[in-house]
Amino acid sequence: MTSDIILFLIQDGIANGAIYALLGLAIVLVFAVTRIIMVPQGIFISYAALSLSWLESNLVPPTAWLLLALGLLTAGIECWQARRRPRAMRAPLVKYVVLPAALLGLCWLLAPQDLPQMARMALALALVVPFGPIMYRLAFQPVAGASPLVLLLISVAVFIALTSLGLVIFGPEGVRTAPIATASFTLGVLDLSAQSLWVVGMTALLMVLLYLFFGRTIAGKALHATAVNRIGAKLVGIETNAAGGLAFTLAAAIGALSGILISPITTIYYDTGFLMGLKGFIAAIIGGLLSYPLTVISALVIGIIESFSSFSASLYKEVIVFSLILPVLLLRSLGRRDIGEDEQ
Amino acid sequence: MRITALLAGLALAVSVAQAQAETVVKVGVTAAITGPAAALGIGAKNAFSLMPDHIGDIKVQIIVLDDATDTTKAVVNTNKLINEEQVDVMVGSSTSPQALAMINPIFEAKVPLISLAASASIVEPMDEKRHWVFKTAANDSVMADGIARHAALKGIKTMGFIGFDDSYGESWLQQFKRFAERDGIQLVAVERYSRQDTSVVGQVLKVMAAKPDAILIAGSSAPAAMPHVELKARGYKGVIYQTHGSASSDFLKVGGAALNGGYVSVGPNLVWSQLPDSNPTKAVSATLVPRYEEKFGKNSWSNFAGQAYDVWLILSAAIPVAIKQAQPGTPAFRAALRDAIEGIKDLPANAGVFSFSPTDHAGLDARARVIVQIVDGKWKYDAQ
Amino acid sequence: MTSRRILLLIVLAGLAVAPAVLSPFMVTLLIFIGIYSIVALGLVLLTGVAGLTSFGQAAFVGLGAYTTAYLTTTIGLSPWLTLLIGLGLTAAAAFVLGAVTLRLSGHYLPVSTIAWGISSYYLFAHVDGLGGATGITDIPPIEAFGYPFLTRESLYYPIWLTVLVTMQLIVNLLDSRPGRAIRALRGGILMAESFGIATPRYKMAAFIISALLACIAGWLYAHLLRFVNPTPFHLDAGINYLFMVVIGGASQVWGAVLGAGILTILQNYLQDLLPHLFGQTGNYEAIALGVCIVLLLQRTQQGAVSLLDRLLPPPPAAPPGEVTAAERLPERPPLPPGTRLLVVMGASKRFGGLTAVNNLSFSIEAGEIVGLIGPNGAGKSTAFNLISGVLPLSSGEIRYLGRRIDNRSSRRIARLGLARSFQHTRLLPDMTVIENVMIGAHLRSRAGILRALLRLDRAEERSIRAEAARHLHRVGLADSMHLAAGSLALGQQRILEIARALCADPTLLLLDEPAAGLRYQEKQTLAALLSQLRSENVSILLVEHDMDFVMNLVDRLVVVDFGEMIAQGLPEQVQADPRVVEAYLGGIE
Repeated sequence: MTSDIILFLIQDGIANGAIYALLGLAIVLVFAVTRIIMVPQGIFISYAALSLSWLESNLVPPTAWLLLALGLLTAGIECWQARRRPRAMRAPLVKYVVLPAALLGLCWLLAPQDLPQMARMALALALVVPFGPIMYRLAFQPVAGASPLVLLLISVAVFIALTSLGLVIFGPEGVRTAPIATASFTLGVLDLSAQSLWVVGMTALLMVLLYLFFGRTIAGKALHATAVNRIGAKLVGIETNAAGGLAFTLAAAIGALSGILISPITTIYYDTGFLMGLKGFIAAIIGGLLSYPLTVISALVIGIIESFSSFSASLYKEVIVFSLILPVLLLRSLGRRDIGEDEQ
Repeated sequence: MRITALLAGLALAVSVAQAQAETVVKVGVTAAITGPAAALGIGAKNAFSLMPDHIGDIKVQIIVLDDATDTTKAVVNTNKLINEEQVDVMVGSSTSPQALAMINPIFEAKVPLISLAASASIVEPMDEKRHWVFKTAANDSVMADGIARHAALKGIKTMGFIGFDDSYGESWLQQFKRFAERDGIQLVAVERYSRQDTSVVGQVLKVMAAKPDAILIAGSSAPAAMPHVELKARGYKGVIYQTHGSASSDFLKVGGAALNGGYVSVGPNLVWSQLPDSNPTKAVSATLVPRYEEKFGKNSWSNFAGQAYDVWLILSAAIPVAIKQAQPGTPAFRAALRDAIEGIKDLPANAGVFSFSPTDHAGLDARARVIVQIVDGKWKYDAQ
Repeated sequence: MTSRRILLLIVLAGLAVAPAVLSPFMVTLLIFIGIYSIVALGLVLLTGVAGLTSFGQAAFVGLGAYTTAYLTTTIGLSPWLTLLIGLGLTAAAAFVLGAVTLRLSGHYLPVSTIAWGISSYYLFAHVDGLGGATGITDIPPIEAFGYPFLTRESLYYPIWLTVLVTMQLIVNLLDSRPGRAIRALRGGILMAESFGIATPRYKMAAFIISALLACIAGWLYAHLLRFVNPTPFHLDAGINYLFMVVIGGASQVWGAVLGAGILTILQNYLQDLLPHLFGQTGNYEAIALGVCIVLLLQRTQQGAVSLLDRLLPPPPAAPPGEVTAAERLPERPPLPPGTRLLVVMGASKRFGGLTAVNNLSFSIEAGEIVGLIGPNGAGKSTAFNLISGVLPLSSGEIRYLGRRIDNRSSRRIARLGLARSFQHTRLLPDMTVIENVMIGAHLRSRAGILRALLRLDRAEERSIRAEAARHLHRVGLADSMHLAAGSLALGQQRILEIARALCADPTLLLLDEPAAGLRYQEKQTLAALLSQLRSENVSILLVEHDMDFVMNLVDRLVVVDFGEMIAQGLPEQVQADPRVVEAYLGGIE
């Protein structure tokens, strides 16, 4: 292994690790606020990248139709629950019917045009992000107080339904989208493609934004408060459901952005997000489902280890990556004296 | 209780269905229409939908089930088709592990099986079970042989291998090793990757570090493009070979310009229009492929569809022979059908020319492959 | 004969005649349902009973299947031997996974089993000699008494016999000393530990048992198909097993069989039906499954078996618990009155900058009832938690019978003869009153899992039951013995907690605000019980807020306020102490 190769591998590892870091952050965020383990996090990657590819082929992405369908369903449930209070129907109708319909209309109008790539990305993002709050509203909100075990099972079921739905609407074939930037720079022996710089740069930017969001905005502080103490947050008037919806929106946005960023670098299939999500997950677990910086660092380490093991033991790459959590959990386990809490 | 009632109801339905099955020849198909090998199964399913429902005046009923690329489900489907539908012949499934798992159940029921999967181990070594098994996909060895010959002619001395970490990559590695050795080509690096990998930088760097004259990539469909693209991005200048699994329009789309100049060993039907008229498969594909693409879209044709349709050609030849021996739906007919398939000689089809024998149930020879070159996103027949 | 018993007989008879009357395909389905049921039964124990989850059961199935496939085909070992080897390997793998995760909170086991499920899939596919992704063919059949089980149909009876035996074993286990400990894992860990139950060990036991069942299923699967390859042991399959249990109902053994049956049959028919409905192929059944599971979990977490349960008349009440012939459980020799039991010396507890308990000192002698009282927020509960080993001390020491206990876990403190009640009652609401009390006798009995499985624990079990019944009579709850503990009123629940603590044969009883939240009538009943215990010379530390309630019950009072002891002595003295009056009047206003 020459030093050139080592540099190449580290570069590759960081590019992959940055995506795991983003996903890991979203998983930590959702867990902190809702106690839900976000198994379907990877879905947003696939949905966003595949939607973008549909737009590139000047087609209306199937996600636009799916969004409207799910939106109608959600609005139907909301209106049924508010059937005695007609005024309360207005907000859900706007949120779940008008908005998706508008997005669909926009796709209808814009898809046949030769849009700049950035506009397509924005449209793909706008299409996929609403899946987050809808997912929360439909699947999780009715059981927000259930035990973590039930939430986890629902999370897995949602993941299975959405992945299979992905196969139905997008088909089994993979796509690669056009890069944001095609330039490449030479740094010593390294060829840095502008796209991979984008990935790393956007990851860093997003982390800063998240930091500012939690530290400086009311919504962010409310989310943080919910994460720290849910009952307390409720007492001071923070709506747990609103917090959950917001957390899912952010998670969807982070996932969709990751999908758009990496789809020019690698081929994305309807189920690609799963393994990537799991690796983000491992990073989040190493971070104790708690620490954002630790999650990012472990995600980068996972990326780099993965890269090196694909070089030196490609057959056992996944085994190595997924076995990583064992020593970490062992350390955590040894550092504890008590016996695990009751969870009801 | 409900289940018992359900079971009883189903049992009743089954016996009614049995009473109706009389002079129809029933073909049971299980294919990987969903799951990881969906691209293979969908090609097969499309091909089956084009098949007529008669051979001469014999009615043929084809029942297609999806097994989601799952081994257990393939076995369950096989049992269902054999026991509930009383099929006379089984077809499928799309991947080798599934087909291997189906051998036991079809042998127990003494129903002939025509497999769509490629691995040679489905029909070799010949034993009392494989006595009942045939397949239409060319052995990987036929394809590997072609690449090794082609490379040797080009004066290539060392080669690297990057293959899937599944049964496909495994089988290719085994076969290619054999032929490379025969043709004096040294295999200097072997790396594996998976369909779901988002980066193959590590594998590509490792293979390039061994400085091979040429590299063989053994993957299927679009994921086969990833190492190819990465090799070009890292400035690899040698020859790149792809296997027949890659030959799909999505592969070309995802790989784009980076694929230019690569060679692929494929079944002849992929470039049927460029074949010389002397090639016996050309006439077969010429009647089928335009029909297929009319129905399923331009560039939708794949080898997988071709080898599935070849099942029909084989049955068209064998059923009229067998029906003279016994009534469909009887064990005697199934045995006669098996014998009739084994008796097929020089049958031109899409995948090649089939000649079965008691020891050879793959039936294809070197005519089952051609080498094509990828030129500007198109397949170009390479006459060698 | 009850209708439940009749239904059971019908099901058993149905299973017995199924191969003769059903189509071979349905028999094949039933065979697979049987194999899946064995895995699902393990998950009933793990998820439904113990409240833990594993996504890695398919990998354990794979371990069983691959062990036998490899060893029978390469070195020709007998399948019976490979079953044992497979079980050994599985137990080892489950032990390692359990050891690193079971001490951590509930999320880590499911997550690490996901990682295990993925890793083992790649190991099956890539370890040399395991046949790679293509798999291992020509696995020999199982042979018993010279008869080879060659065809699939021939394995029908062995497989279903295994299912039924497994069900009976699990039922045996749940109705036993280790069974109660496992049932306490779901929501009762703190309580279980305070009665000396080593919860990590029972978590481990439940996990290993479920893994072993999966391994047996894998062994059967390998010899059924006579072929193995990695895909049936992927994470997807692990998730499927879990869904079977969710659908069928995780809390009862029949839920496993019902779930395996429903899911297998539905998947099989939906997969044919749905594409027709939608006019194109696709894995619609997976979408439908996902949506159904979400809806099901939103409505009930009991599964289909609970529906069945509701349709049937309730089972007859359990047989009377009074068993006279039982041998008495061992008892501690009584301590001579005046023996120093508990000595608290300078105990302090600080949470960050907040001092909850400061330099608290007092002691209790055998036969005494001491009340630790104080207004709200005085630090009583913290003091209680320090003594019972729930919280570690910041400084000072606590001794019990001369031994330091401030560095011991509550489980080890329980061994010394302390038993406690909880202010927020910690009962297992689905278990009967007497079963809850029987948990108290955990440390006074021995039966392990193996004895429980094989019902070799019956004599001891009778003794435990008799002992529990005795204490229920003692506290006046004998009439409610067979009711579900969750159905009792709060006052009765508090008394039940005391009965459970008494069942531990303690040398000192720690009662945490037993009167809090009780109605007047309930308080009277409780006071009467405590006076009775006093006359029986039981030593008690009574932590209480209500001064009037304790005044006539206790020998001595210790009063704390703002974390500090402000008075101690005879009740009358303390009552007259101006600082106490100040604290209480000032506190209550």
